[in-house]
Order: sequence, then structure tokens, then C-alpha cells
Amino acid sequence: MDDAAAIEKIQQGESDAFRFLVESYQKQAVAHAVAILGDREDAKDAAQEAFIDAFRSIKTFDKTRRFYSWFYVLLRNRCYKIAAKRRETQNLEEIEIIAPQEGLAREDKIALDRALMALPADDREIIALKYLDGLSYAEIAERLEIPRGTVMSRLFYARKALQTNLEKKYE
Amino acid sequence: MNKENCEEILMALMAVFDGEKTDLSPEQLNSHLASCENCRTEIEQIQSTFALLKRQERQPSEANLWSAIEPRLQTKIYWQPFVFLAVFLVAYKFAEMLSASDPGFAFKIVPLVFVAALFVFLKENPFKINTELILEK
Repeated sequence: MDDAAAIEKIQQGESDAFRFLVESYQKQAVAHAVAILGDREDAKDAAQEAFIDAFRSIKTFDKTRRFYSWFYVLLRNRCYKIAAKRRETQNLEEIEIIAPQEGLAREDKIALDRALMALPADDREIIALKYLDGLSYAEIAERLEIPRGTVMSRLFYARKALQTNLEKKYE
Repeated sequence: MNKENCEEILMALMAVFDGEKTDLSPEQLNSHLASCENCRTEIEQIQSTFALLKRQERQPSEANLWSAIEPRLQTKIYWQPFVFLAVFLVAYKFAEMLSASDPGFAFKIVPLVFVAALFVFLKENPFKINTELILEK
């Protein structure tokens, strides 16, 4: 089964087909929510609520779009709602955004994670979409529903902020 | 070089670095870089940071959300009875108010209220889940 077939079935009332979409995208959704929220439990809550929103509004799904691009808008809305409500005291520095891998020194990984977590959520989000997910400007524009020129300028300022955070760590 | 010019050039250079097209030609970018030391320094610093970041991946997240999602899928929101109840109560209240006043006024106002209510109801479902982007900070 692919996304289109699953969506078709859900639209015809077969709610079990939704399991395919949840299991295909849940890890990606939680990882994206972690990058916005900086908290794994909040990220799981946001992803769960976003999947339920997706199920309830699947009849409005535009079949010319990819499921995850459409779902990502719901996920972001849930993340920013949770971020607006949640408690202030969290140790964001413990969150890992970047996967450990060979060739990346542990201290560099920690510095990158901390510099990312010190960014505002929307800067962190756009940097992660560009550099960790490798999306093009057009794909980011589709995910965030903003013009390509805005992607360019938001990335520019987010990069500068990240550069400043990294310089602070090494001072 | 003014700040706006430098920002525009740096933005375009980063787009080129990201493998994207820009409105500025390579000649324009190179001639600016040749004459602006600030931009040269800044682009070198940014490029070294982002060359490192570009090679990284997201930390995968373990998640098994289906068991929590499945029971909630069957919980449908039956909103129609509430809408009909609200329309009925408003209509009843109007009828009650109008019976005490000039009946000519009732003839004029009732069709207008009905048309307005129908328009609002058909144009927008208040229980619809918003799929448009709202950036809340």
C-alpha cells in the first residue's frame, strides 16, 4: 500500500488504513516536533494530536500534494500551540537534535546541539529542514507555506544566529 | 558597500552554496566579493559551519503512537445537533420577542435573519479543523 491508496481508503471510511500513515511517518513527525519543541514528551503529544487532526480533516486532503507536506502544517500548528502553553522550566540543553556519527567529534556534536537549541524555535526548524533533512528551498517553502524568497531570508538570519551561538560556545 | 547590498550578496552566496538559483549572476557576486572584505570573511565563516552541519542527520526518534491514536479515531464529533439546537433557540427567542412588537417588523427581519444564518453556516463550518498555517510564538 502507498500513501495515495491509504488516503483513498480512509476517505471511503476504512479507518484502519490510517495505521499505515501513522506507522510510516510517526518517527519523522516526532523528530520534527522535537526540533521545534525541544522536548520529547511534548513532541509525542504534538505528533499524536496532529495525526488525529489529519484523520479528521483527511476529506479536505489535496491529492496533488504529498501527505507529509500537508501533515507537516498540522504538526507545526500543534507544536506552536503546545509551545505557547507549556511550562517554562526545561533543560533544553539536554536535547539531541543531531544524530551521533563517525567523523563528528563528541564536543562538536554537543556544541551544535546546544547552539541549535539556543535558537528561537522557527530558526531551529528552518535550519533543520535545510541542513539535516536536506530539503530544497522550494520544498521548505511548501512545508512552511511561505514564498521561496522568505525561505531565503529566514535561512539567512537563522544561519547568522546559529553562527553567533557557536562562536559564543567557543569563546 | 552598504549593509543592504552586503546582505543581498551574502543571501545569494548562501543560496549558491545550498545549490539554489539566485537572481544575481556569478559575475555580480564575484565582483562584490573582490571588493568587500567583510563579505569574504563572513561567507568563509558561515560556509565552514554549514559544511559541517550539512553532513549531519537528525537524531531518530522512537515512537509508537498508534495504540494511543486508534481509540480516538472512533470518537466522532456530532456537531450538527448542537447547530440545529442553537438555530432553534435563536429562532424561538426571536419569535418570542417579535410577538410582543409590531408584526410588520417581524415580516421584514425574519427572512433576513434566515438568509444571514444560512450564509454563515454554509460559508464556514465552525468545527472544521484548521489546516492553514498559524505561526504562534
